[in-house]
Amino acid sequence: MDIRGIDLFIVVAYLVAIPIFGVYFKRYVHTEQDYFLAGKMLPWWVISMSIIGTNIGAYDYMGAAGGAYRFGLAQANYEWIGAIPAMILSALLFVPYYWKAGVYTVPEFLGKRYNTAVRVIEAILWGSFLACVLGVFFWASGLMLNEYLGLPIEIALIATALIVGIYTITGGLAAVAMTDVVQLLVMFIGGIALTILGLWAVGGWEGMVQKIIPSHPDHFKLFLPLDNPTYPWAGMIFGLAIVLSPAWWCCHQAIIQRTLGARGEWDAKAGMLFAAFPKMFIPMLVVLPGLLTLALNPNLVGADMDKAFPWLIKNLLPAGLAGLVFAAFMAALISSVDSTLNSAATLWTRDIYQRFLVKKASDKHYLNVGRILTFAFLIWAIIFAPVTKKFPGIYVAMQTLLSIFQGPTFAITLLGIYWKRATQWGGLAGLIGGVCISTTLFLFEKWSFLYVAWWSFCGSIVINIIISLITRPEPTDKLQGLVYGLVMKDKTLQEILSKRAKGETNE
Amino acid sequence: MSNWFRNLPLFWALLIAVAGFLGMLIWAWFRPKAYIYQDAPDQRWWRDLRIWASLLMLIQIALYVVFGT
Repeated sequence: MDIRGIDLFIVVAYLVAIPIFGVYFKRYVHTEQDYFLAGKMLPWWVISMSIIGTNIGAYDYMGAAGGAYRFGLAQANYEWIGAIPAMILSALLFVPYYWKAGVYTVPEFLGKRYNTAVRVIEAILWGSFLACVLGVFFWASGLMLNEYLGLPIEIALIATALIVGIYTITGGLAAVAMTDVVQLLVMFIGGIALTILGLWAVGGWEGMVQKIIPSHPDHFKLFLPLDNPTYPWAGMIFGLAIVLSPAWWCCHQAIIQRTLGARGEWDAKAGMLFAAFPKMFIPMLVVLPGLLTLALNPNLVGADMDKAFPWLIKNLLPAGLAGLVFAAFMAALISSVDSTLNSAATLWTRDIYQRFLVKKASDKHYLNVGRILTFAFLIWAIIFAPVTKKFPGIYVAMQTLLSIFQGPTFAITLLGIYWKRATQWGGLAGLIGGVCISTTLFLFEKWSFLYVAWWSFCGSIVINIIISLITRPEPTDKLQGLVYGLVMKDKTLQEILSKRAKGETNE
Repeated sequence: MSNWFRNLPLFWALLIAVAGFLGMLIWAWFRPKAYIYQDAPDQRWWRDLRIWASLLMLIQIALYVVFGT
């Protein structure tokens, strides 16, 4: 891309301003809780914007626009039916219990509800996933800086580490969440500018529809027939909406961690719920550009369809706006990188280091460990990033691996919160059994991951119920504050848990 | 599962989706008021998260009725 002076100025100004703004929040970090949970002081509006900033990455821009170019509006299912109901479920059922439990991570909650084995399996899975994803994000960031600013790739990787590392290491979750707010605004401003110009160029919505419909009659339908290999409607509803999406929004550490840093239970719930409003507009930023490119240039074929978004930037935007949209692109990437980095450090510090290596150290010690691990993950990401180039399927492989675990993880979390009779052995068997089912279906039946997710979820639920019913019930004391009915019926307990979550008591 | 669904018309997708959205909306209203307002600074109507959830679901229903099939 031929980047002009004003564009360069906007991009560089943005890349310099973000770390400066983030470092400001270092002054609020004195304890482990300050570092990993922003001192439990985040208001709902910061949580909601940070959640969306974390959720939307540069891959969404590229992949979703490419998907929309190929399959049309059906791509928006990932932002609508594949997100909004799950966010409501998360806000009104899961988040309050995580928050009340006073935990730092989702595996920590599962460890309290079930047993240490479940916690360790989940922690290793999520910790490994987040570490690998960091490498992929870093490589994408390096490529973008290389392509648009002309930086050598090694320098681009180090620049990314500097930009993100400075404020993530010093300011922790507070810095990450507050910079996410700014980055989301930049993403929306850049994305809306691109969409408005695109609609202008094709003659408005009607003009776009008229250009696309004759050659692609299904491109403005959200549900596609079952013989569609990528987006069959049954897979969208049963695999995506009922299993994968709730698994993502209710159990993903990087998403949930923001709500755990809320200043109160209402803010935690409201933060997740309000995030659904900007989420509904995300198709305007990532799906509509794909359709606009199709209307303007229907000649992209094969892998070039994934370049629908860059094509639109290159061919549509005047000087100044190109820099703004590139800044939005970088904002999407950086806001995902910083959250992943912070969450990976949280998981490894709390669920591995603090649980197994050094159990009773000072608060300052764990704060330092958190910072050292964040730095270590930065170095890891710089080293691992070029490896993703040699193995281009690594991101897909990681996502596939995650989808193998997502159905069973969601199943045991759901039963754990909603059914007090679920026992530790039921949870462990449900997790392992569900993973065995999904692995078998993947390897031997070659099913779509959408159907695999559905059946592994169902299998995990059944196994959990059967094993729970034949094993000894958990004592009520262990379940206090972790299971829906037990807390709802006891107002005194609600107050005690609320105080404990805020750190006002050690009960 | 695929074979069983193959005989269903596409309209069923819309029906199932809208039923799911309505089910979620009703489920939200079954959350007790005290649970919804727990820790809220005050009890003003706009802090009622059930209203937020309802609004979200109604918008989803509208989007899927218009663009669903």
